[in-house]
Amino acid sequence: MLLPSFDYYRPQSLPEALSLLGEMGEDARPLAGGTDLLVNLKLKKLAPKVLLDLGGLEELKGNRADDGLVSLGALDTASRLASGGPEVPGLLAMGAGALGSPQVRNRATLGGNLVTARPAADICLPLLALGAKAVLAGPNGEREVALDGYFKGPGYTVKEAGEILTRVILDAPRPGVGGGYQKLGLRQAMEIALVNVAAHLELEDDGKTVALARVALGAVAPFPMLSPGAASALIGKPAQETCFSEAAEAAAAEARPIDDHRGSAAYRRDMVRTLTLRALRQALSQAQGNQEAQA
Amino acid sequence: MSGNFEVIGSRAPRKDAPNKSTGKARYIEDIKFPGELAGALLQSPQAHAKIKRIDISRAQALPGVVAVITAQDVPDVKYGVSPARYDETLFAVDRVRYVGDEIAAVAAEDLATAQRAVEFIEVEYEPLPVLLTVEQATAEGAPWLHEQFPDNVCAQVEQEFGDVEAAFAGCDLIQEGSFFSKRQDGAFIEPNQCVALMDSDGVLNLHSSTQVPHYVQRTLAMVTGLNMSKVRVVKPYVGGGFGPKASATPIDLAAGFLAMKTGRPVRMAYTREQVFLFSRARHGFTHHMKIGVKKDGTLMALDHRATLDGGAYSSFGIATVYYAGSLLGGPYKLPNMRYHGLRVFTNKPACGAQRGHGGVIARALFEQQMDVIAERLGMDPIELRLKNMMETGDVTCNDLAMSSLGMRECIEAVKNGSGWDQKKGKLPKGKGIGMACGFFVSGAGYPIYRSETYHCTIMIKADEDGGGIVVYTASAEIGQGSETTMAMIAAEAVGIPYEQVRVKSGDTDFGIDLGAYSSRTTLMTGHATKEAGENLKAMILETLAQELEIDQSRLDIKNGLIKISGDPVDFSAIRIGYIKEHRGWQDQPSGDELTFREAARLAYLRRGTLVSTGKYKPPVLGGKYKGAAVGTSPAYGCSAQVAEVSVDFETGQIKVERITDAHDCGQAVNLTSVEAQMQGSVSMGLGEALFEEVKFDGQGRILNPSLGEYHIPTVMDMPETKCIVVESGEPNGPFGAKEVGEGAIMPTIPAILNAVRNATGLVLDETPLTPERVYLAIKKQKGA
Amino acid sequence: MSKQAIILTVNGVARQALVEPNQTLTSLLRDELGLTGTKHGCGVGDCGCCTVILDGETVNSCLVLAMQAQGREVTTIEGLAKGAELHPLQQAFVDAGAIQCGFCTPGMILSAKALLDHTPQPTREEITKGLSGNLCRCTGYEKIVEAVQDAAGKMSEA
Repeated sequence: MLLPSFDYYRPQSLPEALSLLGEMGEDARPLAGGTDLLVNLKLKKLAPKVLLDLGGLEELKGNRADDGLVSLGALDTASRLASGGPEVPGLLAMGAGALGSPQVRNRATLGGNLVTARPAADICLPLLALGAKAVLAGPNGEREVALDGYFKGPGYTVKEAGEILTRVILDAPRPGVGGGYQKLGLRQAMEIALVNVAAHLELEDDGKTVALARVALGAVAPFPMLSPGAASALIGKPAQETCFSEAAEAAAAEARPIDDHRGSAAYRRDMVRTLTLRALRQALSQAQGNQEAQA
Repeated sequence: MSGNFEVIGSRAPRKDAPNKSTGKARYIEDIKFPGELAGALLQSPQAHAKIKRIDISRAQALPGVVAVITAQDVPDVKYGVSPARYDETLFAVDRVRYVGDEIAAVAAEDLATAQRAVEFIEVEYEPLPVLLTVEQATAEGAPWLHEQFPDNVCAQVEQEFGDVEAAFAGCDLIQEGSFFSKRQDGAFIEPNQCVALMDSDGVLNLHSSTQVPHYVQRTLAMVTGLNMSKVRVVKPYVGGGFGPKASATPIDLAAGFLAMKTGRPVRMAYTREQVFLFSRARHGFTHHMKIGVKKDGTLMALDHRATLDGGAYSSFGIATVYYAGSLLGGPYKLPNMRYHGLRVFTNKPACGAQRGHGGVIARALFEQQMDVIAERLGMDPIELRLKNMMETGDVTCNDLAMSSLGMRECIEAVKNGSGWDQKKGKLPKGKGIGMACGFFVSGAGYPIYRSETYHCTIMIKADEDGGGIVVYTASAEIGQGSETTMAMIAAEAVGIPYEQVRVKSGDTDFGIDLGAYSSRTTLMTGHATKEAGENLKAMILETLAQELEIDQSRLDIKNGLIKISGDPVDFSAIRIGYIKEHRGWQDQPSGDELTFREAARLAYLRRGTLVSTGKYKPPVLGGKYKGAAVGTSPAYGCSAQVAEVSVDFETGQIKVERITDAHDCGQAVNLTSVEAQMQGSVSMGLGEALFEEVKFDGQGRILNPSLGEYHIPTVMDMPETKCIVVESGEPNGPFGAKEVGEGAIMPTIPAILNAVRNATGLVLDETPLTPERVYLAIKKQKGA
Repeated sequence: MSKQAIILTVNGVARQALVEPNQTLTSLLRDELGLTGTKHGCGVGDCGCCTVILDGETVNSCLVLAMQAQGREVTTIEGLAKGAELHPLQQAFVDAGAIQCGFCTPGMILSAKALLDHTPQPTREEITKGLSGNLCRCTGYEKIVEAVQDAAGKMSEA
């Protein structure tokens, strides 16, 4: 399959990239891992005049931990996230590890996943559940945007054409915090989820009470969504089956699935319930494991 | 089982494997010709429409475009697979019948230009009603896709063997069930591609990724109007076929015309989406069966109705609809069988042949019903099958003769191999075990076109220095290992080591071979190869006997050495002659025995280059009824499988945890290759059982034309598979060999269905068993 | 934009090429450098036939621009054998009967190589995960997994 014609630039710094992007406006598309963008070009869904390869931008690379916060570079690949490390929350590693295939994970980036903003994106869901913020650099400097509110539609976010997503900021992994990730597809690999759920639980020091919870749902709305009902069913309650079931019900009720050739809305809604429950159990077990390990 | 073989039955490494492991093996895209043009096809975006007007002027005017052709530029010749149902033209003449129907082709200096030119062709369509289902196509007043096929009926089959109604009247138990399957795709990994060019002899050469060089040659010759001798088809290494590559493609034909018109090589390739659009793969089937048995489990009668959603053209469909009925004749004794088969045209890509041609879904339903019958009778499913299975020497009610049938051995092998008795009925909740049998032809008894032609011919030439032999065959190595198989058969027949045999294949200049389909190559091409090998051996030994002045019957060749029975014979003159000819070489023959090398060299010196030939066509096979040509074969393979699954009741997900597979291949020529066919069959069967479905929108467009959304199994989806090779010794096969390539897929789907039933109690009637389908069935069961 | 010159290392050898911006790494390897062992399958990252190793990691070369290979190190299937001697993985694939049509084989072997480079003694699960981006329709994967296990054993002995 042929790629359409385009010009290729590889800026060496963020200011250079932003200035090029400013000059070329909508004609240019930033290129990170290319696992989505190049496919869309080949399928003639997009025809930018210029590809701006972000691969040379040091500002978008490397992870930093500072004052309880972690900053992850937009060019972090799914493979590197999946292999974990001290800065990478377990939930994010799980989602990144469930993405595509090894070859795709070696190219696909954190930033690309957030910008492409597919409804079932394996990296977006954990980040949303983790309460992450995206850092968007533009001609007038940087702004931080919470991911809750960042997604607008399939492939459509609050990021403006002249902006580049440079980093993601989230809480550093700590004791009493756990995540669960559940993905339902036909195959065991190379799947876009029929439904996926990321659950994040933070326990009080008692190791039982839910201090904070977020449940993110995939493939059941035009973009990755949080279930506020699930969160409020959990927060302040003892982390156990009763409130997990309530949270799962709330998530199923709030999901907005549609019928398409991959699955019916009704099935997806039922699966939100099942996967939420499973993700919460997984999150609890991880949170308690963390706490014990620390103790 | 193995006889006293030197080469047959071993695990000789495949001839093509080293080059395939290093990237040196050349497939069609790896072969370039100077001055190539790139071709592209214009395919219909409409599923059913009249063509009012085609304007190619803008495309022709585009710089870099060398030729644009439409129906006006090619002879008005209809073609297809079965001559009785030639219903295709290369380009749409006045209407298009599916999204993807070919309208025009362009040759240009580069692919981007060719593709742009295609976009510049203007076509005015007048939409016609789009018929996407059998129900729509057979509804009162539906337009006919083809004028020669009233009511959109491509083929209708009515057969009755014995007296089904009388048999039902005497049955103690009647079991009825239905099954619905979806259209599936071959999903070979290498998309179709070809290059056509005229050579200096005026021969149109087509290099193509095909399973059937001979049929492609014949179709290309017929459509272009050239004599067969003016068309040559060469098949390089092929990245899989599985059935859909078993006929000429529109790009084979279009590239041929464009090469004739431009005088330059023209390359045409399908994208993956175009592979789905061309299709010619597994039909969507609907089956209904009524089965009658006696109290003791004796099968008495089957009443079977099948409807096939055929797509827009006949392709292999006439054979498919017959196979769907005839292959239920075995492997059980079934004295009475009635079959009503119907294949209907719809506005979708044409379906054709795919591994287990026509029989896979019929087998799935029948084996599922066998399990239900066993339960209703209080019998173990294996006991019911053992009670009814055929044995060597049996003949089915539709005249298929079991010249060898290791059905019992297969059933017992999987029973023991899986630990059936320890598991059946004793598994925890959510786990299930199931078994099924299968049965398939070992080569179609007749060619696709009516002819007395040999099905294959072979030439073997001995190297003039006696160092080895070259087997020339027009058969098609498509990954199944036929080159290796022929090398092993030739080595065994001549009496030399495998390493001394080279095979040249896949070129219609080498002779006749009907190709790689219907699991025919090992038996048929194998026969011809064996005959040619034996003839070569006889030529060499005749000369040697004359030279040694002894009776030829005293001579034999084994493992590259001449075996002389009786009193010692002085062959020193031959050896001295050979050594004198080869002064300076370091590997002169020595030892007590004369070598093949010396004997073959001598034969060359006495009679010139040694060339032997072999040929094969099946003997006249049983069955005088209409349709008897589909299903008759010189031999039948059979198989049994046990599947073990776990079912997630909350999501409907099925995981196949283990498969135990036994197949009777008569005699393994290459044991590794036999296992490889079995394992490959299991993975295709598993994909079809669980994942695979080509989906359409309301306008007849494919929704999932990619390997990302048409899900074939990945390595993570495959269970542990245990293979047991059964060798019953087939009297009609070369060295006792028969098929394995397709029979092995037959039991996979029903074994999984039966295991899922064991786990859930559900008789599921629709594949693929997606999580949603299974979940909904579980929910319905709970609610009921 | 016209063609641009790039320099990269392919199978240990520095190579130069003039490439178009819209040329993929698959095309650079196959069409410019004549390394046709890298197979062109689906073109969109679904099949894994075009897998090569880029700076130690497998990629679908159909989804990498040739320009992006500037200054980087690529290993293709042609880079594994030493002269006539097959790489242990290649030999294991031949011996195990892990090759049928062979179209997936180069990519499959390179995925296996990258896996063994990172994980010399993989479990069966690690093998299947490591090969999960390479589709094979012929073999059912069983003999491929056996070949990788066999090669891992032999390579650790060596």
